[in-house]
Amino acid sequence: MEKLFFDHTEDTPKVLLDADNREFLIEGRSLPENAVEFYLPILNWLNDYSKIPNASIAFKFKLEYFNTASAKQITKLLILLQQISEKISVKINWHYYREDADIMASGIRFAKLIKAKIELIPYDD
Amino acid sequence: MNSQKTKNSFAFRLFEGMQKENLSYIYRGVFSQNITDGILSLTESNLDKQGEDSKTKKRVFTIMVEGLQNITRHQETEDEAYVNETGIFIIQDVNSRYYITTGNPILKKNIPNLTAQLNKINSLDEEELKQYYKNVLNDNIISNKGGAGLGLIEMARKSGNKLVFDFVDLNENYSYFYLNTEISQNTGNNLSSIQQGTETLKSVKEIHRILNEEDIVLIFNGIFNQDSLLNLLSIMESQMMEHNLNLKKKVFNIMVEMLQNIVKHGANAKISGQNPGIFFINQNKESYQLNTGNYINLSEVDELKRKIAYVNSLSVDDLNDFYEKSLFNFQIDSSKEAGLGLIELRLKTNRIISYEITDFNEEFSFFVLQTVVD
Repeated sequence: MEKLFFDHTEDTPKVLLDADNREFLIEGRSLPENAVEFYLPILNWLNDYSKIPNASIAFKFKLEYFNTASAKQITKLLILLQQISEKISVKINWHYYREDADIMASGIRFAKLIKAKIELIPYDD
Repeated sequence: MNSQKTKNSFAFRLFEGMQKENLSYIYRGVFSQNITDGILSLTESNLDKQGEDSKTKKRVFTIMVEGLQNITRHQETEDEAYVNETGIFIIQDVNSRYYITTGNPILKKNIPNLTAQLNKINSLDEEELKQYYKNVLNDNIISNKGGAGLGLIEMARKSGNKLVFDFVDLNENYSYFYLNTEISQNTGNNLSSIQQGTETLKSVKEIHRILNEEDIVLIFNGIFNQDSLLNLLSIMESQMMEHNLNLKKKVFNIMVEMLQNIVKHGANAKISGQNPGIFFINQNKESYQLNTGNYINLSEVDELKRKIAYVNSLSVDDLNDFYEKSLFNFQIDSSKEAGLGLIELRLKTNRIISYEITDFNEEFSFFVLQTVVD
């Protein structure tokens, strides 16, 4: 599968979905004007991937900030990962800056709501 | 409850006052490089959106840079005695005539020199100003003093108008220095320009007094879109530099939801010649009050009231449940339920959502939303 890559902008995160190298990450700020439009290609890619998943995957979330419109799209993304986890082993790593109570709380919330393993990983710099 | 009501009405009055004086943007506080940059790009994107020609844009820009540098320079050099006043930057847009006002405290002992400089500049015509600029530049190189007066001459040259200024007494050692510059496509009508400038400065001083009273640090009364949102965010991020991360993030968070709310729901396009709304922030130490005001269609008023009343009626636990339910409701845009944005405002501020709806005409109401973050 062809990889999907978006570099980060002022209001959208960096996204990398690379099946060959088994790298999956979303990183940075997410507050686009139109969250549905921004996340659509990402959700489509994962949807395609969910039909032919290979081996196990580790998906890295390292978000600094996201608005409520993005929260909903991230929920969709996690639901897709949950579906994929029924076929192969999926690990979701939710990175948060140690002092960032907000991103940590979101991770805890998603871990409660999504039936796939979400691990909370604090970082310091 | 009563004082809340007065506050909200203040937002509407402020909006009306800003509209009347054609004020598009005010920042009051400490000016850092990041804040200056943010103000410049905010103005740039607003001028672009208004389809302003590139020559006018460039003149507005040059004058803003000089004015903002004036404020930052005084901040650095004149802190020897305590003065509880910060700089102010104001831009007014009156049918493609722009008025830029800067203000900052200065030492009283510098007033005679500054006044002489300004009077000298105002006495010169275009050609003489050009020559004077060269002379001052040479003098500066020789004396190695750097910059003295050049910025002011540049402002006068670029505007093609006289510089209007005033001093207001602050205390024993300090006065407040206001400087107002007009940029218009037609220059040369100096007499009316000075009169207009003096009028402008009078209302600016009055507004400044109100801002001080209300602890307002930022007012934006322009075009609400993603660009202006990002610029306002970057200005506030710099403004909040010294605060702890979680306060900063909460303010950031709530700003995004409130401003994107205007972009999404504000009934702007339909009222021609009017700005769609206002955004302003009051700050009292570690407590920020964020306010938006915008037009909404009369037909949406009852629905909005119902949604807010529902969100306000929930306990924190119920709110969290409702939030989670809404996260999984992908049809929400067409549903009758309150969106995540409102729930987030209530959760993040840990307060009841405070709002006011004022009738405007048969078609529109004015909706004021107010949140407190601390």
